[in-house]
Amino acid sequence: MKFVIRRFKDDKSFWQSFEVPVKKGMTLLDGLFYIRENIDPSLAFRASCRMGICGSCAVKVNGRPRLACETQLSKFKKEIKIEPLDNFRVIRDLVTEFEGFFAKHKKVKPYLIANTDYENPIEQLQTPEELKKYYIFTLCIKCGSCLSVCPSSATLESSLGPAALVSAYRFNADSRDRGKEERLKIVSESFGVWRCHSAMECSEVCPKQIEPAKAIQLLRRETLR
Amino acid sequence: MRGFEPLAWVFQAISGIAMVFLITTHFLLTHSSHDLLSYDSVLYRMTNMEYKIFYALLLIFVTFHAFNGLRAIILDTEGGMRKKGAVNAVIVTAALIAIFYGLYLLSKF
Repeated sequence: MKFVIRRFKDDKSFWQSFEVPVKKGMTLLDGLFYIRENIDPSLAFRASCRMGICGSCAVKVNGRPRLACETQLSKFKKEIKIEPLDNFRVIRDLVTEFEGFFAKHKKVKPYLIANTDYENPIEQLQTPEELKKYYIFTLCIKCGSCLSVCPSSATLESSLGPAALVSAYRFNADSRDRGKEERLKIVSESFGVWRCHSAMECSEVCPKQIEPAKAIQLLRRETLR
Repeated sequence: MRGFEPLAWVFQAISGIAMVFLITTHFLLTHSSHDLLSYDSVLYRMTNMEYKIFYALLLIFVTFHAFNGLRAIILDTEGGMRKKGAVNAVIVTAALIAIFYGLYLLSKF
């Protein structure tokens, strides 16, 4: 199979083709490793868990963001086009800068804010029904696919973007959390939920089928109260 | 409710839904027959209080929807967001001028 990879070197970008022998069960990440180990050791890409959990290997494949480790090569015909994610600064080849993405994430306080007495800690109970309200949103692996297709994030870098808003909703919907008001104040700023224009692309490409657009709509509903 | 943004978003949705009905009615009133665009027909509509209220509503909803949409597009850019206060002030002023000028013209008939 022909791998056509958009590479970046010294602020210049160019397309380079590689021929990769494909075996049954081989993933796109396996193909990238094959290139690096057998053809061009300078090819840069990011990967870690190889099982769709860490979110490190998201790349644009034939125009759509995908996790390289979960993309079976048998899905494609003779040629496959691989690029780094859009809306991220490229460091080199397929490696993009994620500092800004995590900074946005940090802004929404993505942790449980609870009245915990650390001297006498007690178990924070939650019913299965309460867990169900936000469980799907805990599955986000911060791969950045949603942000890479978000039209608002493309034109406005300070826009929080879908992943951060998913996290904000995930903790706001948690019955043990006491930081709802703080987070709502942050997400209802101009760069928060109001920059979403419901393109729904984030839900379309999310490799975990989380539906970030739904979380944003639910957050909007909360801010309107 | 927190500030101007949620209000703007809610009224954008309300004005959008209202426009579906108002513009459909406007097309039926003006384009379902050639006679409806004759001088007498137009004058009749413009001097009739029910039509005036209908066109005033159409004017207000369309102007709000258009200017608020334009505001959202401008605020989606880095430059627009940096000068958010100025963008809001210019858009609100322009929308108010358009609405009051339109209402003034309607009142002249």
